[in-house]
Amino acid sequence: MPANLDVPLVSREALPGPYALLTFEHPQVAREARPGQFVMIKAHTAPEPFLRRPFSIMAVDRERGTFTLFLKGVGPGSRALIDLRVGEEAGCLGPLGRGFEAPPPGTEALLVAGGYGVAPFYMFAEELTALGRPFHLFYGGRSAPDLPLVEVLTESGYPLSLSTDDGTSGTPGRVTAPLTTYLDAAAGPSVLYACGPDAMLHAVARVARERGLGAQVSLDPWMGCGVGTCLGCVVRIQRPSDPRPKWRPACTEGPVFDARDVVWS
Amino acid sequence: MSGPLAVEVGGLSLKNPLLAASGTFGYGVEYESLLDLSTLGGIVSKGLYLEPRDGCDVPRIVETPSGLLNAIGLQGVGVRAYVRDVLPRLERYDTAVVVNVCGDTVEEYAEVTRILEDAPRVDAIEINISCPNVKKGGMAFGGDPRMTHEVVAAVRRVTRRPVIPKLSPNVADIALFARVCEEAGASALSCINTLLGLVVDVEKRRPRLAFGTGGLSGPAIRPIAVRMAWQAARAVSIPVIGIGGIMSADDALEFLIVGCSAVQVGTANFVDPGIYERINAGLVAYLERHGLAGIRDVVGTLAYPGETK
Repeated sequence: MPANLDVPLVSREALPGPYALLTFEHPQVAREARPGQFVMIKAHTAPEPFLRRPFSIMAVDRERGTFTLFLKGVGPGSRALIDLRVGEEAGCLGPLGRGFEAPPPGTEALLVAGGYGVAPFYMFAEELTALGRPFHLFYGGRSAPDLPLVEVLTESGYPLSLSTDDGTSGTPGRVTAPLTTYLDAAAGPSVLYACGPDAMLHAVARVARERGLGAQVSLDPWMGCGVGTCLGCVVRIQRPSDPRPKWRPACTEGPVFDARDVVWS
Repeated sequence: MSGPLAVEVGGLSLKNPLLAASGTFGYGVEYESLLDLSTLGGIVSKGLYLEPRDGCDVPRIVETPSGLLNAIGLQGVGVRAYVRDVLPRLERYDTAVVVNVCGDTVEEYAEVTRILEDAPRVDAIEINISCPNVKKGGMAFGGDPRMTHEVVAAVRRVTRRPVIPKLSPNVADIALFARVCEEAGASALSCINTLLGLVVDVEKRRPRLAFGTGGLSGPAIRPIAVRMAWQAARAVSIPVIGIGGIMSADDALEFLIVGCSAVQVGTANFVDPGIYERINAGLVAYLERHGLAGIRDVVGTLAYPGETK
């Protein structure tokens, strides 16, 4: 069950550029969060912006009762969170939404991350490791500075392929390039998982469709409430049982959807 | 009902003066696991038509300074699904259930109300004649005194329950509409719905919302809402429920002091679903600090310059 709590910042780790890792105390999130779920959070120190913001949960520490967010300080909401001092509080509701579902035994999980969309895959990689499922992470961005988690992921020893649009790190080009190369060489079955910009999600969905693979994509529309009542974050979804597409709230029925059900705009 | 926070609003008894505003609290059950719904004086449902509705294209919401502009377009499950699936789940909570009724035509408003008449869990009907994000009904009715009278009278004829029109602020003289509703048989008034707004994406030179214009809510509109609720309350003898940007006990008190008998909390639900307990506690503390026995002793106590109480 999600819980609405005032949560103190426990620690902050600055990363290169506008990025940071923030750890908050929230026993429910720590205990119950699944990879791909998110929290709605807002720093109490800043009255504006008015609404809380949704952020994917990057990691949890069940023993300490904490969770960690990977943030890019792009707007007033994320910057106010990054500017919190240890001990200062944020209003936080979570864990929310439906996350990723691990593949069946013997199936490889291919995780495709664009920019700061990498956050939920850190936690998912931990779960897949614990489950003993094979996986590979494809981490792409516009340029090397857009991949600030490379060091953290490398330290974890996760199988990793990097790519950048400008070639400053890893394979030059889109993240789908190393993905398709990998798929061409893959022997066994695989499922794709994607989190990042819409265009990247759509591209991964196309790769999955062309190759007859399952794919789960994490959508990131503007959210108001996080609990399915404002209906601001709806996305066009058509499940096999739906006679026509329906507006479904990404916060409660997603953010992770089966790529085949998404009506891409 | 007793206790310092209990109020009576046009035949609707509330254990405390806080209701969740329509469109900001779903059908209530969405918040079941997050808070004790019995801490609310009442829940006003999302607007309901006869049939399920798709709502507007996206983007539907955009944040503004201290507020939110929305054009959701009354996406909803329809009144029959609400009666079948939602109302039974609200049985176990000690809170008033107010259903927000919509229609494309006068007949539809009446038909939705008639269907609700057989549902025992419903305590009152709020008439949505003020939604700015639909092409028919909504604000089109609430901006026309003759249509306002017709809709309110039609709903009044088919229900024994309190009938509460929700007024639009997008009119020149809200007192006129308040009086029209009173004449048509309204039991109380909800004041106000959202203010019509427009936010422009300057790069694309297009509205930020897919619908174009939207309804502005949140603390940004509160002074306007307090002023309009005050004007409405002075114009009629039926009670007024104040709505507009309430985030704290002091905000709620502003509406009560200018003459509202109860208030609705709207956009604040998105920012903090736990807000009701905090506001209620603040109201109790205020009563104690001022040596007042109950909320009723606060209502309509505004000392306005140049007027004698």
